[in-house]
Amino acid sequence: MDVQNQAELLDKIRNNLKRVLDPELKLNVVDLGLIYDLSLVEERVAAITMTLTTPGCPLHDSIVSGVKYCVEEMEEIDRAEVQLVWEPAWSPDKMTEDGLRTLGRL
Amino acid sequence: MFMTPQSIGSETNIKLPFSFILFSILAIIVSQVLFLFHGEALINGQFRIPAIWSAAHLFILGWALMIAMGAMYQLVPVAFLTAIWNETFGFIQFAVTALGVTTFAITLYVAPHLALVPGLVMLLGILMFLFQMGMTLRKQAEPNILTLFVGTALICLFLTILLGITLVISMKTGFAGELYPLLFKSHLLLGTAGWFTLLIFGFSYKMAPMFSLSHGYEMKLAKYVYGFYVSGLVFIIGSFFLNQVILQKFGFFLLLIGFSSFLWHIVTIIKKRIKKKLDRPFSFALLAILFGEIIHLLAFMAVMTNHFSSFVGPLMVAYLMLWIALSIIGYLYKIVPFLWWTHKYSKIIGKADVPTMKDMINEKLALPLFIGFILGIAIVSFGLVWKVTLLFYIGQITVTIASIVFGMAILAVMKK
Repeated sequence: MDVQNQAELLDKIRNNLKRVLDPELKLNVVDLGLIYDLSLVEERVAAITMTLTTPGCPLHDSIVSGVKYCVEEMEEIDRAEVQLVWEPAWSPDKMTEDGLRTLGRL
Repeated sequence: MFMTPQSIGSETNIKLPFSFILFSILAIIVSQVLFLFHGEALINGQFRIPAIWSAAHLFILGWALMIAMGAMYQLVPVAFLTAIWNETFGFIQFAVTALGVTTFAITLYVAPHLALVPGLVMLLGILMFLFQMGMTLRKQAEPNILTLFVGTALICLFLTILLGITLVISMKTGFAGELYPLLFKSHLLLGTAGWFTLLIFGFSYKMAPMFSLSHGYEMKLAKYVYGFYVSGLVFIIGSFFLNQVILQKFGFFLLLIGFSSFLWHIVTIIKKRIKKKLDRPFSFALLAILFGEIIHLLAFMAVMTNHFSSFVGPLMVAYLMLWIALSIIGYLYKIVPFLWWTHKYSKIIGKADVPTMKDMINEKLALPLFIGFILGIAIVSFGLVWKVTLLFYIGQITVTIASIVFGMAILAVMKK
């Protein structure tokens, strides 16, 4: 896959991830700044490094499995490897402008 | 460099916290109805009669304690990143405690001299809970200040029930009869300001930032909150046994300083929030802290002017209802939708449209419900202070209706 196609696919994955909403904040994981890294480790295998707003978040399992499902259901992807990390810790500056606007911060 | 998280294991089986929550809904309604039917005794200051004992224990043990236990089964894995030690043991503990609380409340009502055996069953249930939590907290990788608050709260609960059983034995056999008033006061203090307040402090430090999405706040003040408040408890209990008024005054001063520090700490945390508009139920849990502060201030003033014994009844009602109960109801209004949502929708997030937390519970109902609850308690308190029967009944009917509506709102979540 050439660089351009790879970049397009990553954008597509990122957009698809916007379907995973934090039900408490009504905000998707991308605009919330939870997705730290997104890459293709093999042609049809995506690797996602993500966090949650707080360690021990009660929605831990739900959000992680939602992210995995959203990527694996794409026809271009066979497998998604999701790694949940606490360092660096999530902070509001990781949110997008859309995210901040939704929470009334802009 | 990324750091991978500790595994927190699977989430608690929803049936476990819900067993406690459903039992508690029934208990609060029955207890409020009992208070309603024995209003005359309360107005006349007769707090130590079987029906009031029964209602008070049903409210405190059947509602507040059971709900605290259920909430802890859900919150401990969240706050301490460790799974519950043994869920099956948890179900057995629920059955034993529910049986103990129910039979204890009934026996207190119909034949208080026979309350020892059901009291022991209840004691066993609570001891099982303490064992469960002790084993769970032991597994925590890195104990923190929250562990200290919750751990001390659990110790206070243990001492409270130990004193409670001693009181029942004393009543039945005359054992330690001369110490009865001191043990009784220590039982009340440790059960309310020790167990419930320290527990609410501890979990508020997790839930307040979580529900307001606060970040970048300091936690240094928490250890001073702990130090002042726990020292206050120690001084007051010391004053009971040494019969030193000055110790009691100093103890109440320390409680006031501790609570004020907590209030200030929560204000600083909330100021750092990202979520601009706070949810109503959570706002009421925060309002409960303000009520708690006012009650601590009034109690301190009453002690300093040597009028505490005249106001202890209404102050206790206000403390139980406007601080402890309002905190619990406020947080529960947030926790129950979380529990049910996780149970029902966590597997389909990202696959299909799922409701938000706000869709899970009637938030519009929160405002009239919480206002009704607060007004009802205020009217009951004034009715008790001024000994006006009509005021008491208006207030108590309002609280009873609010309890029923609250129960129905919680049950309605399970239909979502």
